[in-house]
Amino acid sequence: MKEEISVEVFNHLVGLAALELDAEQATYLRRELNLQLQVIHELEAIPLEEDLKINAHGVKYEASITPQLRADEWIPYEDVEAILSQVPELRDRFVVVPNIPHEKLD
Amino acid sequence: MTMQLCDTPAHELSILLRKKKISAKEIVESCLERVAAVDGRPGSLDPGENSSQDNQSVHAMITLTAEKALAQAKGLDDKVARGEPLGSLAGVPFTVKDIFCVKDTLTTAASRMLANFRAPYTATTVERMLAQDGLMIGKVNLDEYTFGSSNESTAFQPAPRNPWDTNRVPGGSSGGSAASVAAGEAAISLGTDTAGSIRQPAAFCGVVGIKPTYGRVSRYGLIAFASSLDCPGPLARNVTDAAMLLKAIAGPDRQDATAVTKAVPDYVGVLDQGVKGLRIGLSEDYFKIVYMDAETGEMLQKPVPDEVRAAVYHAAEILKAQGAEIIEDVPMPNTRYAIPAFFVISRVEAASNLHRFDGAKYGYRTAQPKRDLREMYQATRNEAFGLQPKLRILMGMYVSAAQYSEQYYSRALKVRTLIRRDFENVFDPGSSYHLDALLTPTTPTTAFEMGAVYGDSVLMQYADQFTVTANHAGIPGMTFPAGLGADGLPLGVQLLGPDFSEPILLRMGRVFEEGTQAEAWRLQKPQVLRGLA
Amino acid sequence: MSEYELVIGLETHIQLNTVTKIFCACKADSWEMEPNTNICPVCAGLPGVLPVLNEEVLRKGVLLAYAMHSEIRNVSFFDRKNYFYPDLPKGYQITQYDMSLGNGGYMDLFIPEDAGATRRVSITKLHLEEDAGKTKNAGSERLIDFNRCGVPLIEMVTGPDLRSAAEAAQYLTRLRQLLRWLGVSEADMEKGHLRCDANVSIRPVGSTQLFTKTEIKNVNSIENVRSAIELEYERQVREVEAGNRIQAWTLDWDDEKNELKKMRSKETEADYRYFREPDLLPVRLSDEWIQAVLADFPELPLHRKQRFLTDYHLTEYDADLLTTDRQLSEYFESAVKVYGGDPKKIANYLMNDVLRMLNESGKSAADTRLTPQYLADIVKMADAGKINASTAKNLLVKVEASGQAPNEIVAAEGLGQVRDDAAIRAVVEKVIAGNPKEVEAYRAGKESLIGWFTGQVMREMRGKADPKLAQEILKEILGS
Repeated sequence: MKEEISVEVFNHLVGLAALELDAEQATYLRRELNLQLQVIHELEAIPLEEDLKINAHGVKYEASITPQLRADEWIPYEDVEAILSQVPELRDRFVVVPNIPHEKLD
Repeated sequence: MTMQLCDTPAHELSILLRKKKISAKEIVESCLERVAAVDGRPGSLDPGENSSQDNQSVHAMITLTAEKALAQAKGLDDKVARGEPLGSLAGVPFTVKDIFCVKDTLTTAASRMLANFRAPYTATTVERMLAQDGLMIGKVNLDEYTFGSSNESTAFQPAPRNPWDTNRVPGGSSGGSAASVAAGEAAISLGTDTAGSIRQPAAFCGVVGIKPTYGRVSRYGLIAFASSLDCPGPLARNVTDAAMLLKAIAGPDRQDATAVTKAVPDYVGVLDQGVKGLRIGLSEDYFKIVYMDAETGEMLQKPVPDEVRAAVYHAAEILKAQGAEIIEDVPMPNTRYAIPAFFVISRVEAASNLHRFDGAKYGYRTAQPKRDLREMYQATRNEAFGLQPKLRILMGMYVSAAQYSEQYYSRALKVRTLIRRDFENVFDPGSSYHLDALLTPTTPTTAFEMGAVYGDSVLMQYADQFTVTANHAGIPGMTFPAGLGADGLPLGVQLLGPDFSEPILLRMGRVFEEGTQAEAWRLQKPQVLRGLA
Repeated sequence: MSEYELVIGLETHIQLNTVTKIFCACKADSWEMEPNTNICPVCAGLPGVLPVLNEEVLRKGVLLAYAMHSEIRNVSFFDRKNYFYPDLPKGYQITQYDMSLGNGGYMDLFIPEDAGATRRVSITKLHLEEDAGKTKNAGSERLIDFNRCGVPLIEMVTGPDLRSAAEAAQYLTRLRQLLRWLGVSEADMEKGHLRCDANVSIRPVGSTQLFTKTEIKNVNSIENVRSAIELEYERQVREVEAGNRIQAWTLDWDDEKNELKKMRSKETEADYRYFREPDLLPVRLSDEWIQAVLADFPELPLHRKQRFLTDYHLTEYDADLLTTDRQLSEYFESAVKVYGGDPKKIANYLMNDVLRMLNESGKSAADTRLTPQYLADIVKMADAGKINASTAKNLLVKVEASGQAPNEIVAAEGLGQVRDDAAIRAVVEKVIAGNPKEVEAYRAGKESLIGWFTGQVMREMRGKADPKLAQEILKEILGS
């Protein structure tokens, strides 16, 4: 089987995805990815017209069924504290996370 | 034996309540008793080994909301006593797939990531069900973040099991919904369908399931999998109840810019209009599966089992007998590309939708002290996401990377257009087919055994081959039980129709239901109910 | 150093001054609010939420796109730009990528150093997007405030068309003027309504090649943009002359130390994995809708200035000043119209007195109580000699303070100029009688004392006398 996603590419994806994986997970996931890609490659066999239109949705949104845009009216949210109650670490109303590493300046 | 309230159809419960023959409290208590009898322990993050008792229970629930349900029942009974107007779902017990946010309860998405998450708001659909006086019994299990077709990937174990045979999967991802309805834990359930996640488990558990037209039902409050494909929809034990629920949840929503403003028809009112003159197509492209051999990478074709084909033809005969026209050999040539296209589109959207789960704002955060933000993100996501979310994220990252996006993502979207065109070609009133619906199997097989497919992400996806086309095209699809296989498990048959044709599909489903009322398989009950008094 | 030329492109982020955010109903403006108070499930990126586009954002976007000569697309799209950052609660920014609201465009800049020349600055990007939150360092931690999440922004990027720090500053000055003129943004750089990153490279004069650029970020005033570019120019020249290559760094402007620092390198564009936002439909703008938005599109500052020069014969300086601000220019024209006399007189009152008054009170020309009508009334009264010049200036302040019509104030307070010969004559006689020494000195030939005598008369009459008449009578009586 051709391995389209090499270990190197895989590791790049893991970084992009903000994941870290143990060896067992990595082996399983990389194998499944490559299997799925084989299926995906079937798409290449389909002859496509040059100007085939792409839609983000299957349904056609004609003007008559398309919702209006939102009017610019302020509606304060009534339960801000409930949002903050879910924050793992909160101080003085700030959401707290570890710092972002900075490169030393030369 | 008299029928218990928990097994009584929703539309009948509603009438009995209005006539004051029963109380909401009795309804809720009946459901809670049923849960106690068949559901076993609810899913949890730290389940230990399954006992043999566990292996014979349904495990639909993640969070049973018994107290709330009883409080709600009390409120409803007071309303009845005061003679106040009642909502359309008055007295109807329901469960909610735990992918919908509901205020003041947990909303887990069946993931460790959200195991402690309390949403500050309620999904539009659930809010509408509550506003119509429906009674929420609990929030039910699913594949983690809806990523699966068997429910085995839930982080909350034991995973749901099929009430017809607890060695089998209930299907997924709305497996808890289908199982809870089939087992009589509630009359109806709110599920979601991204590739078949309502229809496939409904078929496996012998209930009715509807994936409405995209945009017909608001997605606000549904934790997104693939935003361009996700559809909330009903699961119910009969067509009428499904129509009732659809009626309650459909309609425009100012919080969902993709929810259409089209008026909602009276889905219940049209049910008895019959099928005379309606044109129903059968397609050979829906009687075979095209799948990849994992060893060789070769694409293979296999016809569906005879009993599956027979169930569809049987349904066609019933409908024909009531005046529908059956048109065979309808070409749907792009059906086979629906899975590969889905692999691309859904992963791109899912990877993006899962970005927000980073340990900063809600849900899980790693307990390890972290020096920097990146390490916190990585440890959090690694510890809290199961394998299926990780798999979808990584694939999404790959196929949408700038250098591959044209080759994969753009191409998949074009294929989606072709799949849509297949339907337009046969549904267009000006076309030679001008069909009102297509009749197909819902799934290629009956429910498979627990553990039989899980882990093989490709094979698992092929369980959705006949359902995912409707998600690509945006059109509505409905599955209804159409018999039992040789293994004694339910067989589902699917109707696919043009945009917003839910009333037509419901009418067809109702005609089939009436036409098969006397058939022997209708008397069969799920395994877990057989021993009950 | 002079053999190197600067090549600058500016990337601006413009906060639109809508009432609410772009995708939810929270307030757009949360300046000085407590952290995480102006949020809702949508802008805080909770699971399950969906964006709903604010129509006003499109209106303001269309106004700006039109002003920038950008093609307004009838169908545009929103896309997701995916990256992890704690100020971005969804982990992606909803923005417009390849099919944005505006396509292309330009702004013509007058180059003051090169009288009469214009520089056409091309616009390569003009799109709508949502703002991120704010973060600040606190030791080993970072504190996040989501109040600003979802504030509507227009990102506008110029081509590498600017050739000096002064030109960059001028572009920003003109852009700021335009944004306020159109009423689409408050455009206050210190409050972050208008943010600017500068892409800077150098090349030998005469070359048309583009060399490696650096990107300067986080500059919060036009003056600092100018300083930062000048510093970076010097640095790049030093590097090149030392035989080093310029590297594509991102530089952070340190406001306190007035210097540039190197930032950590960011992910490359390929990693943003843009794709169409499936939660929003394509933005479809009909021609009728666009025309309705543009129906009262204002005359732009440069045109108005030209017209002021030709119609009212103002000086270049005056015309420029009177068109810095749209309300001021409209005020001027209304006053001129009501007044009917020499526009220059209105201009003088405006620039010498009214502007100072407005600056002190912080009001704009549109909300002063000294309406154009009242200003014209005052100038007319002065022209007719009903009041003298100093009374006129005092009146401006009084009208602004009270909101009363100037003629009412004049009548009520008796500020009208006294032209009654007898009344003045009586006061003159009183002054002469009371100052015998000065009368003697005047009559002995010290005629310069006439001014002093006039002042005494005016003081006695609390400024209301017609000073010319008073002097004539003084001369007549003193001379007799």
